[in-house]
Amino acid sequence: MPRHVEFEGTVGRFVDSQGRRAPVDLPLLAADAWAATPSAGLLLSTDAEPDARVQSAPMIGIDFSSFHDGRGLSLAVLLRTRLGYAGELRALGDVRPDLLHYLVRCGFDSFVLAEGCQIDTDDPRLAPHASHYQASVQNPLPVFRRDHVTS
Amino acid sequence: MTKAMYRYSAFDKQFVNERVAQYRAQTERYLAGELTDDEFRHLRLRNGLYVQRLAPMLRVAVPYGTLSSTQLRALARIARDFDRGYGHLSTRQNVQYNWPELKEVPDILEVLASVEMHAIQTSGNCIRNVTTDEFAGVAADESFDPRACCELIRQWSTSHPEFDWLPRKFKIAVSSASDDRAAIDVHDIGLRVYRDAEGERRVDFRVGGGLGRTPVIAETIRSGLSMRHLLTYLEAIMRVYNRYGRRDNKYKARIKILVRAMTAEGFREKVDAEWELIRASASELTDAEINRVEAFFTPPSYPVLGADVLAAGESSLNAARLADPAFSRWVANSVVPHRQPGFAAVILSTKVTGTPPGDVTDVQMEAVAEWADRFGFGEIRISHQQNFVLPDVPVAALNELWREAVAQGLGEPNAGLLTNIICCPGGDYCSLANAKSIPVAEAIQQRFDDYDYVHDLGPIDLNISGCMNACGHHHVGNIGILGVDKKGEEFYQISIGGHAGHRHRSAAIGDIVGPSVSRAEVANVVGRILDIYVEHRTPEETFVDTVRRLGLEPFKERIYAAAR
Ligand code: SF4
Repeated sequence: MPRHVEFEGTVGRFVDSQGRRAPVDLPLLAADAWAATPSAGLLLSTDAEPDARVQSAPMIGIDFSSFHDGRGLSLAVLLRTRLGYAGELRALGDVRPDLLHYLVRCGFDSFVLAEGCQIDTDDPRLAPHASHYQASVQNPLPVFRRDHVTS
Repeated sequence: MTKAMYRYSAFDKQFVNERVAQYRAQTERYLAGELTDDEFRHLRLRNGLYVQRLAPMLRVAVPYGTLSSTQLRALARIARDFDRGYGHLSTRQNVQYNWPELKEVPDILEVLASVEMHAIQTSGNCIRNVTTDEFAGVAADESFDPRACCELIRQWSTSHPEFDWLPRKFKIAVSSASDDRAAIDVHDIGLRVYRDAEGERRVDFRVGGGLGRTPVIAETIRSGLSMRHLLTYLEAIMRVYNRYGRRDNKYKARIKILVRAMTAEGFREKVDAEWELIRASASELTDAEINRVEAFFTPPSYPVLGADVLAAGESSLNAARLADPAFSRWVANSVVPHRQPGFAAVILSTKVTGTPPGDVTDVQMEAVAEWADRFGFGEIRISHQQNFVLPDVPVAALNELWREAVAQGLGEPNAGLLTNIICCPGGDYCSLANAKSIPVAEAIQQRFDDYDYVHDLGPIDLNISGCMNACGHHHVGNIGILGVDKKGEEFYQISIGGHAGHRHRSAAIGDIVGPSVSRAEVANVVGRILDIYVEHRTPEETFVDTVRRLGLEPFKERIYAAAR
């Protein structure tokens, strides 16, 4: 789990030990506009139904209309594991510090916190658990395929 | 003595401790004004904390209803140190405390963690505690102990990265017995697990059952999947639900509404298509992992009793029954057949007139823990009927246990009968209630206090909920009572013929018998319903059989003719 973030202005980036892809920061356009200007980033709502064309986007933002809208988490998982999206994935909208650990596990690289929220670069909320039971985008092996379980 | 129970690994221990630290920090930030009410609400719910009418309520997870005596003693200690000396057994096999201080909840969670317990995901829109048959592992009619399956699901669903923020709460129940005592037909997902002819563990998936505002019986969407696919198939179901379940209206957000909108067939196609893409992922269970978890549930080493000892035990039991009709009555409904000769499972009823159904004191909890150690292997169950179960009691010790249970107010001989009422906390505690439910239960218990009459009626489930949320499972009560609000006054709607799917009957939602009645009238209406049953029943019929045969009409006519 990343225990650190770096900030550039309002954009926070998860830093993990394996390093990360080169940061990208582009204006984001909704699907129709993006189709016309594919050098921009693509902005998706949590109920979007993207297809493999999104692979070419240099950046994708998912807009959380509320922090408890879990569709954004499934959407990120699909982008990463189904649609082969390997570029920068950013969470926008109602993003709260206590939920950042879900975002990083579902494959987000960066986020912009909701108005009025802030965190330290090594805030404990980034990684409340050293590791988890299930497979995730971040760690594709569930605990039972790792090595501890006999203890 | 080794118990047939899951024990935490170093990983589990660390995980639960980290969760306590996380919640402690969240509570501190909330109390310092750094978290909004709405944000904290979602976080505290995922740690079991509701804010009720009078005080917060903390719901502690009792995974699939299994407790050790050590754990039950810790629950007693929490009742004494942090509450008012009692706790409440819930209809989902959990334990609730009605009077904790919000700021002390992290300390309570720390006590729980010290005995390998937690309150994770006992409320909120996430995957809740998995429930099962309270006789799992000892039932004579079971294919294999379903608790390993429950534990695998518990671990997989705990703080899942993708499925912790669902449209609505999500409840999974598992059964492996030919008689479904886990009500799997009225859960978001109901799993039937069994061994096939080759000994392979298999799973049938039912989805979209549930109570609440729109009661629905679940439909089977997949049969006979190998246990290795348990988690990937669940993942496929959850992903379809998480993406497409309604989030605009909380009354339409449960999976049953989605299944209905897509049709079961349409839903199955979507899930199967999803599953094909993930079935070979790392989440596919390994035999090693299934075996590792299953090994925790290896039956305890029962003493092997010779035929003469067994026969002597039986005859002393029979003699004790003949000598004492009260004991005999208790044996008739509280003692359940066990797969091990010479042993029985015992139901300890919490349904004593004058005590809210499911409420137990610290002293009672400690007594139950002590019996579990003395008579059994230190293991206790909580049933969804809100009673304790001791899974392993030697037949020869039944009389001694009964005497002590009676002295502790846990020997009421009403398990499975009319007065063993399932009842939610209702208007006395719950801020969502339309009406009180506890006083209704008490009025019915008072009215039907003649043991012989109640026994003669045979098995009847009477279930009471204080509102449409149906925590008291009123839809599946053979007699169901629902609190409704009529222009600010408390009224009660009565239904009959519901069934949770046990005693080898199919699950069914009850039918409303007519207009709702005042609290004072409820026991009278129940009395009239029972009169009609007694007049019409055949010797082999239970209440629900008679209702199914006669239909609603004879009941409607009489109940309301008399009321007019
Ligand atoms: S059924 Fe209603 S009143 Fe009863 S506990 Fe549930 S929400 Fe509260």
